[in-house]
Amino acid sequence: MLAGTLDMLILRTLRAGPAHGLEIAQAIERRSDAVLLVEQGSLYPALHRIEERGWVAAYWGTSGNNRRARFYRLTPKGRRQLAAETGRWDTLVEAVTRVMRPDPGESEVS
Amino acid sequence: MGWTRFFRRTARERERADEMRAHLDLYTDEFVGQGHTPDEARRLARLRFGNPRAKLEDVDDRNRLPVFDTLGRDLRYAVRVLFRAPAFTATTVVTLALVIGACTAVFSLANAILFTPPPYPEPDRLAFLQAEFQSARGAGTQLGHDAVTWEAVRDGVPSLDAAVYSGSVNGVNLIVGEQAAFVRQQRVGAGYFRVLGVPPVQGREFSPDEDVPGGPALAVVSHETWVRDLGAVPDIVGRTLLLRGDTYQVVGVMPEWFSRESKVDVWTPLRASRRGEGGGTNFQVIARLRPGASWDQANNELRSLGIEPLLARGFEPGDGTTAWLGTVPLHEVLAARSRAPIAILGAAVSAVLLIACVNIAALILARGSSRAKEIATRMALGSGRGAVVRQLMAESVVLGLVGGVAGVAVAQAGLSALQQLAATTYGNWADAGIDGRVLAVTAGLSVLTSLLFGLVPAFQASRLDVQGTLSGGTSRSVAGSARRWPRRLLVVSEVALGVALLVMSGLLVRTVVNVVGLDPGFDPDRLVTASVSLQDARYQASEDVHRLFDESLRVLNADPAIESAAVSLQLPYTRLLNWGFKFPDEPDRQNTIVNVVYVSGGFLETLGIPVRQGRSIASGDRTGAPPVAVVNETFERVFRRDGTPMLGRRLVLGGYAEAREIVGIAGDVQQTDSGFAFEGRQPAPLMTTPTLFLPAAQLDASFFNAVHTWFRPTWTVRARPGAQAGPAITRAIASVDPLLPVSEQTTIDTVMRAATAEENLLMTLVSVLAAAALLLAALGIHGLIAQSVAERRREFGIRIALGSTPGQAVGRAAMSGVMLAAVGSGLGALLSLWAVGFVQSFLWGVDAHDPLTIVGVGLVFVLVAAGASVLPALRILRLDPVHALRQ
Repeated sequence: MLAGTLDMLILRTLRAGPAHGLEIAQAIERRSDAVLLVEQGSLYPALHRIEERGWVAAYWGTSGNNRRARFYRLTPKGRRQLAAETGRWDTLVEAVTRVMRPDPGESEVS
Repeated sequence: MGWTRFFRRTARERERADEMRAHLDLYTDEFVGQGHTPDEARRLARLRFGNPRAKLEDVDDRNRLPVFDTLGRDLRYAVRVLFRAPAFTATTVVTLALVIGACTAVFSLANAILFTPPPYPEPDRLAFLQAEFQSARGAGTQLGHDAVTWEAVRDGVPSLDAAVYSGSVNGVNLIVGEQAAFVRQQRVGAGYFRVLGVPPVQGREFSPDEDVPGGPALAVVSHETWVRDLGAVPDIVGRTLLLRGDTYQVVGVMPEWFSRESKVDVWTPLRASRRGEGGGTNFQVIARLRPGASWDQANNELRSLGIEPLLARGFEPGDGTTAWLGTVPLHEVLAARSRAPIAILGAAVSAVLLIACVNIAALILARGSSRAKEIATRMALGSGRGAVVRQLMAESVVLGLVGGVAGVAVAQAGLSALQQLAATTYGNWADAGIDGRVLAVTAGLSVLTSLLFGLVPAFQASRLDVQGTLSGGTSRSVAGSARRWPRRLLVVSEVALGVALLVMSGLLVRTVVNVVGLDPGFDPDRLVTASVSLQDARYQASEDVHRLFDESLRVLNADPAIESAAVSLQLPYTRLLNWGFKFPDEPDRQNTIVNVVYVSGGFLETLGIPVRQGRSIASGDRTGAPPVAVVNETFERVFRRDGTPMLGRRLVLGGYAEAREIVGIAGDVQQTDSGFAFEGRQPAPLMTTPTLFLPAAQLDASFFNAVHTWFRPTWTVRARPGAQAGPAITRAIASVDPLLPVSEQTTIDTVMRAATAEENLLMTLVSVLAAAALLLAALGIHGLIAQSVAERRREFGIRIALGSTPGQAVGRAAMSGVMLAAVGSGLGALLSLWAVGFVQSFLWGVDAHDPLTIVGVGLVFVLVAAGASVLPALRILRLDPVHALRQ
């Protein structure tokens, strides 16, 4: 996965509402049609990092099948961060796409 | 968040662990929901999750202050690493422990004996009076004074508060009620305790009007005696006790701590006068500077007493000798005898400390370079340079700590062993304890060494070319030796130090061999001796002394287990009485000092001292018979006069008018130095001195009373071959006088050993240290060669493959060790020329720069080095060249 994108993906996932780690990981996989596979263990360092930055807040709650789990929800600061990152991401994707698009007149050589 | 997060680690850690566990549980549930068995579900969950522990640490790292947290982790890791290299760890820790222990023991002793002033108030204002003289033959000092000097100092030096006392402490019999105890008695003048600054805790000390000839019999007792022998009765002052057969009134009790300093149980008045012992230099004078006075002032007053001519005559009559009185600090005198041996020990142990530090350094260096690959691997896997350096340092710290703790135990054991060995020679060493500061310094030094040299490979390692090392640089190429240079220097220096130490020990060994090899002059086989103090009121009359000698000898000679028995004042291998004499046929000559021994008839025969000319002293030489004397060969040589045969010559003993005829010349016997000058005297632990043997049965009460205050008569018996004499002497004396306490019976061998105990002790200690140095140096060379062989396996493989014989390869590998030892030995020989200065004053019969010893020691070192080099080099023989080349 592209460096730095995991934070953004987590924030985007939480925009739909609070979720615990497993739900976040599965949501990312599902929404990317299983293209982006999150190694679930690596999720936590990222979660804790953005928690420390104050973009998300965490609380202990009960999951759908009555298990105790730690839920994360987006803070207003996280919401602003997500907006900023989304903007940056769009710019980046556009730029990359422009570079990758074949030049007019360039023919594919195999 | 803030700074508190560094300390809230455990709670946070627990929460995160909880969170991950919850995650795994949820995930497992999901797999179970998909139809997996619970076990399978958990396995799948873990598989997808990754290693939880690693994730946790990942999360954690940014929440720690690196120093706090990594220190603990580094230390834990260091312990694990060290356990995985037990040989290295054990060698280093044992070396550290031994050297920290030995150094701490010796320097604690030095600190206690040499640098700690005596515990009297204002010790820097206390001094001994000392006579100093300068003559054509040299200069010297003397602490003994006669009554004339003492009176002059007492009355003519206002700057000093002085007191006189007798330096000799005698074992005497103290009888309290029905019980007899053997106590140590010293005679001191009025004001002795005031000058020391230690007044009695009960009662008082002697006053000047009591401390006079014919004064009252008074006693001050030690706290120990008061408790042990006098039952600690509260009203002890004013009571009487029976000492040496006389009644003494107790006037004071000393403080408890004073017993540790003085080693005396009972003090009685000295009663100094110009007669008797006051006629000779038998007193010592201690003085305290009065308030407001200075030492310069006191010394000036001492110079202006006008007794210098008198002093000078006392040293060497006639020949331009000058003498004067001076002062010498109390502590300097008390420590004087221990100074040289402790300096030698200190120097030797420092050398071993240096060698050990060198070895530890070499070990750590070697380990550092052999770990190059491990370190490179760690750095390739992303370990920072700082982390690697920190890790290597942590290992050094762990080694140092463990070695230091073990060192404390070694120091305790070492100090008590030292004290036990030196108990008879340097009794004052017994009070020294381990000094915390000394321990801190020696331990600090060793740990610093290991840290310092732990750093060298750490930095070498951090500069490592990771790529080169991993791809096998060291084992493929012919060994680059740049990194072995520090070790070579270390090995050369430790060999040099070891050689210097071994030369010192060799010279001491040769001294002891020389001394032990001396012809004793008598037959020590089957001889046992015991002595008795006759400083006793019941032996003031000569008839009583004669009767005791005669009757006890009669009992002993009747014993079938005993070949013969005799009494004498002192023995061979001890210090003899100094007494003046002159020849009546040389009237212009002053009294000359010689050694005087009174003996019972048959003494020379009992000891097996040969009679060279004339006859021995026989039982018929008694009061009433013509007075006779037997001289020894040295006496004959020193006082020989051409044309007058020694036999038949007459001499007069100092203090007497009647002349004695010399009736025999006996063989020389070894004695210890009794400090008077005579022609042909060589300073030595043992010497033959001009000696007069006098028949005890011809001596009178005044002679006995004078000499019995300083010396005790000794009974000597020779058992028949195969017979057991048992405590024969004790029984025989008890059958004549059951109240006389007899010293423990000892063999003459014990007496002979005591005479050279000092040299023996030093020889033993220095030899032990020198052996340690030799061993350490051998270890150092062994390690160097072993490492070089290991590093050059491939090179040797190539050599052998190209036709070099294994022998040549071994020689090549071992040669550098021998070369280093040769260089080190050469430097060590030079170093020893300076180092022998420490032991010079203890040497006898061997030159301090004895080439034989120096060359011999150098050869020993080169041989040991050769052995230490060849052993590891032999591994080459087991080398399979094909295998080595493929590596």
